[in-house]
Amino acid sequence: MTDLAAEFADIAVDDAAIPLETVLAPRSEEEAAAVLAAAARSATAIVPWGGGSQQGLGARVDAAVAVLTRHLPNHVEWSPDDLTVVAGAGVKIADLERQLAGGGQSAVLSETPGSGTVGGAVATGLSGWRRYRYGPTRDRILEVRLVTGDGRIVRGGGRVVKNVSGYDLPRLVTGSLGSLGLITEVCFKLWPIGAEVRTVRVADPFAADALLYRPLAVIADRSGGWVFLAGTAADVEAAVDVLQGDARDGLVWPDDPDGDLAGIVRVPAGDVPDAVARIPDHFNYLAGVGVGEIRFGGPSDSGAVDLLRRYAEARGGSVVITRGGNGLDPWGTPPASLSLQARVKAAFDPRRVCNPGRLPGGL
Amino acid sequence: MTITGTRLDSLLGDLRAAVGRERLKTDPLELHVYGTDGGVARGEPLAVVLPETTEEVVAVVRAANRHDVPLIARGAGTGLAGGAVPVEPAVLVVLTRMNQIHEIDDASQTAWVGPGVINLDLSRVTQSAGLYFAPDPSSQAACTIGGNVATNAGGPHCLADGTTVAHILGVEMVTAAGEVVNLGGKAPDPPGLDLRGVVVGSEGTLGIVTKVLVRLLPEPPEVRTMLIAFATVEDAAATVSGTIAAGVVPAALEMMDRETTIAVENFVQAGLHTEAAALLLAEVQGAPAAVAAEEDLIARVAASNAAIEVRTAADDMERALFWKARKSAFGAVAQAAPDYYLHDTVVPRTRLVEVLKRVYEIGERYDLTMMNVFHAGDGNLHPLMAFDGSEPGVLERVRRAAEEIVEASIEAGGVLSGEHGIGLEKRDLMPLIFSPVDLDAQERLREAFDPERRLNPGKVLPAGSRCLDYGLMP
Repeated sequence: MTDLAAEFADIAVDDAAIPLETVLAPRSEEEAAAVLAAAARSATAIVPWGGGSQQGLGARVDAAVAVLTRHLPNHVEWSPDDLTVVAGAGVKIADLERQLAGGGQSAVLSETPGSGTVGGAVATGLSGWRRYRYGPTRDRILEVRLVTGDGRIVRGGGRVVKNVSGYDLPRLVTGSLGSLGLITEVCFKLWPIGAEVRTVRVADPFAADALLYRPLAVIADRSGGWVFLAGTAADVEAAVDVLQGDARDGLVWPDDPDGDLAGIVRVPAGDVPDAVARIPDHFNYLAGVGVGEIRFGGPSDSGAVDLLRRYAEARGGSVVITRGGNGLDPWGTPPASLSLQARVKAAFDPRRVCNPGRLPGGL
Repeated sequence: MTITGTRLDSLLGDLRAAVGRERLKTDPLELHVYGTDGGVARGEPLAVVLPETTEEVVAVVRAANRHDVPLIARGAGTGLAGGAVPVEPAVLVVLTRMNQIHEIDDASQTAWVGPGVINLDLSRVTQSAGLYFAPDPSSQAACTIGGNVATNAGGPHCLADGTTVAHILGVEMVTAAGEVVNLGGKAPDPPGLDLRGVVVGSEGTLGIVTKVLVRLLPEPPEVRTMLIAFATVEDAAATVSGTIAAGVVPAALEMMDRETTIAVENFVQAGLHTEAAALLLAEVQGAPAAVAAEEDLIARVAASNAAIEVRTAADDMERALFWKARKSAFGAVAQAAPDYYLHDTVVPRTRLVEVLKRVYEIGERYDLTMMNVFHAGDGNLHPLMAFDGSEPGVLERVRRAAEEIVEASIEAGGVLSGEHGIGLEKRDLMPLIFSPVDLDAQERLREAFDPERRLNPGKVLPAGSRCLDYGLMP
């Protein structure tokens, strides 16, 4: 049993789905701060844990303690007229999006979130396909609250859609993979969904994309692709006419590629047609046209990953493993700014207790 | 700390070696010109250097480290918050000569540009590729991309497309230690911490940006610009909310009050409705069908809120005239009064009317002409106080009125600044919205980049922000 388990026995929970020895579920930000302060004092590594859906992303962390957002006050404060929502970190993405959709709005998070939470959406920085139209998740995070690796409760940003008051902590925290602290609450900027939504199957998604002005999303797969449309009825009808494809009502998002191994190839948007041609035949893929993100899945094959990585890195991109990367390098070549990144991590997590080693370069 | 005599001579010698004799300015008259930005604060730089390459910036940073003097990066100096004003003896690093456009990538819709490129020039150059840079601050004919990065500049078209940070994919930056680092990149979501996102809006305190990778947007096939007049400010605000509630986020939604409209009409003769209490400038862009539907929707929402006139620009010339009216508001005011102070706060969109009423009330109480022209769509207020600085005591009244406006905005759930930045102007107001622990975290972040406080010291964070000791020493 870890020392933290003994000290915080009252908030320890049993969850067979979490493969760590000790699982703590603080019920308030203050309790979370006490856990992290104690972790820092005893130099005990912890893994911040939301829905667990993206724990395969990044390098394996040598830790015995998970700190859950599940029992934090997971409230939702929605201001539809301001197009903003505040949500506790443990709120499920699917639940939040369902609620917002009832009022015709969306936080534009992942379309295939599984058990993912909003805290996890911020920690991973993952975006959905609709980033083509609305930009990445990080551009919609207006405010964050987090408990730092030494137990400080820090807020950054503000609950307004435009803000330059101080350093942009929301963007720094986005994609930090729990390496700076435990995210407890987030304020998102929202978008109206559009009165009419359609999904159109097309033979050539790149050609289809060239016919339209900033559609919601365009996805390419091995046999063609989809164009996703949202807007006023007149606009969507006009786009459907231009595409002349097989149109379905609603937004029908494809399932992410399955397989023992999954990952994301990221290249400049203009390189996507070339990049998909290099995805080996035994991998399935979905490519974000106009974005530069290609999700792939298939059998474990380190040679194929190495080839793709060499290609992507030569274009300033990357290949990141998101699932089943046993024995595979999860990140590839570390960023050139590693020493600066290490100093920034130390500013939030001086004792290196929050997901140590999870980020590229062993950070 | 002042630097004089042989210490100063030695510093100037190293700076001369870094950038050459012609691009080191030491003449007191020339230095005086660089002592202020677009705001009211003033200081005196020790020297001004105008580097032309990243290597020269590195040499300047190393010289500053050797002589232990602060550096302040500066673009065109159009900032309004004192961010580029030397509060202590410092060397100004003016980046306007680094104005090359290094690369335009049509396929990925990006460009690598120097920090000294003027905002409007960038879009002019990319126009032939059918692309443009979305952030469009009112100063866009003069301000630089580097300055836009430093302040995370905004502008009317940030409503739909976000402020500068959403359009900066990467930067090449010289650190306080004099090292060159590349942050971000052309491919989405580079692995590791998003230091690019923190550098944007950091007002030159985390590094000196020497190259910028910008995201460009495709020119919309169709644009429609409307000018709508209302008998009350409430009706105009209700139209803003009603449009967004109906599921349309226009490209821009700008509001102008009657005081401003009268001043602007005198200045540009655009045939503005000078009897209206408020004018709303709405712009929609996109595919033709989308634009037509959205224009129609806005007109209907406006009509249901008792609009007294709806004008849609008939052609590009009229559209340009509408925008000229909006963007020359501050120039028009300058014509009407010898001095003005332009404010910048943000409130939740739904609190606009309430806060505006308080702004007018504050103006009356301090006997100041209060004008409002602002980004209504994102709740970004720009109250402007026109005054005559030669009148005794007026500056103190302006200062106190400005603080009360900040307080009113914060009480309504707002923040200190939406696009001008904190700089000197609002530095000491930061504790109004952040706890000591929040400010300490920001100061630690700054120290991670610049432990010696070499870069733009005394800006953004109030003195004593780094005050917490968590006693975690082993």
